[in-house]
Amino acid sequence: MAAADGTVDDAAVPAGQPAKAGPAWWYPYALIAPAMITFVIISLVPFIYTIFISFHEMKFARLGDFAGFDNYTALLTDSRFWNSMKIAGIFVAIAVPLEFMLGLLGALLLNRPLYGRSILVPFLFIPSMMAPIVVGLLWKIMLAGSWGLLSTNIIEPLGLIGDSSIFASPNLALYALIFVDVWQWTPFMMLAFYAGLQALPVNPYRAAAVDGASPLQSFIRLTLPMLAPLLVVIGLLRLIDAFKVFDSIFVLTGGGPGTSTEMPSVLAYKMTFEFWNLGEASALAVIVWLIFFAFCNVFYQLAKRKLNAF
Amino acid sequence: MSASSPDGPSPLRKLAWTVGAVLIAVLILFPVVWMGLMMIKPTDAMFARPTVWLFTPTLEHFDYVVERGFHVYLLTSLVLGAVSTLLVVIIGTPAAYAFARFEMRFRDDLFLFILATRMAPPVCLVIPYYLIFAKLGLLDTFLGLTLAYMTFNLSFYIWVLRSFCRDLPVELEEAAMLEGWSRLAVFRRVVFPLLRNGIIATSVLCFIFAWNEFLFAFMLGGKNVHTLPVAIPTLITAQGVRWGEMAVVGMVALTPVMLAVFLLQRHIVRGLTMGAVKG
Repeated sequence: MAAADGTVDDAAVPAGQPAKAGPAWWYPYALIAPAMITFVIISLVPFIYTIFISFHEMKFARLGDFAGFDNYTALLTDSRFWNSMKIAGIFVAIAVPLEFMLGLLGALLLNRPLYGRSILVPFLFIPSMMAPIVVGLLWKIMLAGSWGLLSTNIIEPLGLIGDSSIFASPNLALYALIFVDVWQWTPFMMLAFYAGLQALPVNPYRAAAVDGASPLQSFIRLTLPMLAPLLVVIGLLRLIDAFKVFDSIFVLTGGGPGTSTEMPSVLAYKMTFEFWNLGEASALAVIVWLIFFAFCNVFYQLAKRKLNAF
Repeated sequence: MSASSPDGPSPLRKLAWTVGAVLIAVLILFPVVWMGLMMIKPTDAMFARPTVWLFTPTLEHFDYVVERGFHVYLLTSLVLGAVSTLLVVIIGTPAAYAFARFEMRFRDDLFLFILATRMAPPVCLVIPYYLIFAKLGLLDTFLGLTLAYMTFNLSFYIWVLRSFCRDLPVELEEAAMLEGWSRLAVFRRVVFPLLRNGIIATSVLCFIFAWNEFLFAFMLGGKNVHTLPVAIPTLITAQGVRWGEMAVVGMVALTPVMLAVFLLQRHIVRGLTMGAVKG
């Protein structure tokens, strides 16, 4: 990839053929202009507008007086906001490491000699490519109170929650949502890590085998260090995505029972379209946006430096 | 890398690993099969305790879905997905190529801004969109939703296609330019043919994302623009949940996803990691 890094510079200032191969200075800008204009309209304007609203008093959808930081103070003293952050923290802290470990184990399994791997692999992509709303529907069916396949045959005999749905349990609903997220994203982690394993060089393993290293030793000493950058980048990307889950929660619990599964996305939705408290909702959106921007930046820098990806 | 010894793994061990992997895959995908069965399961068999495994298939759920006009929602989803993807390809392809090939001022900053557009939670965007669209009369219109879908798809497309562009050897373009070809001719006759698979893979992913999208369609759509994902919760009615019908709509919503999965295969890893990992 180092060569590809160089090509960018070469194209701008080609050695030996300055006038002929070099593009006019405006050429690249002309190519990106339509896209950048679109981004200004669809992304920058709404963002600035959100900041603008967050500093105003909002009466339903009507803009009121300038309110300074009132919406922000209201939000930061709102226990529901901190509750949503706490729930997002629990969700991400359990779901992402689980997906990570199971994904790594699965990738090692996929990397064994297998028959018909190319037939198996596409099937494993299905959960991660599914509409989250359909994922929610699947598990609504599997875990429906009293008649859902898993409810009747596995959860009920345990005697924890009677015959009601696990999504109606204030203590367990969040863990059920975590389970659904793990179901959806572990296969993808498997395949992404497997792609990483495939790209590793063979020679270090030959040398290790000659030295009589056990499979576990070569995994810890060779595979993990060589795979580390990829693991970090994919883990971070999953972290960002897990933080903003909305659709499946919306269809499975709607943030309830009570506020026990109210992630920040769900709270922002309710603030906007149920309480019509748009000022505070905008303040929440701005804060979440800034957090995401920070995470994005870390993802970008890591992927660029460690994976030479961009 | 592979753990095989020089004389290859024994067929028996290979078979054992295969059985293990297949079992895991079956376990993972079982809920999908179960939902597929719900499509043709009579309602009383669904609610039976203990669970009923054998039943006489019925088509009653399909009848209800067609009666309620769900084929219109299907068509809306298809049109919206296709139009927004096409726009993204037209606007995004030159930009992705430029970001991969040329030095520009603030290139990295612009690129990061595009990434941030993709990564932001959609619920943050839905608030300003709702207010702006209400003012401009864009609520419940194809144009409004197409614009909204471009926030995640245009940024996604540029990022991922750029990684495909980076894989192309720049020497071919340089050689063509030395022959005296214009920039446009180089793009059309050298870059585009080599990039075609990348464009197809990335735009199929864009279509799937638009097809799967729920929140924008739910909040910014309405009677006129009613997509399939939005139709799913409408089956939770005051008279009860229409489970069989939901299963039918869910499986219809899954069909393009299944096709795409077999069509794209390893490109999906590249897509879902924003081009960071080559599948």
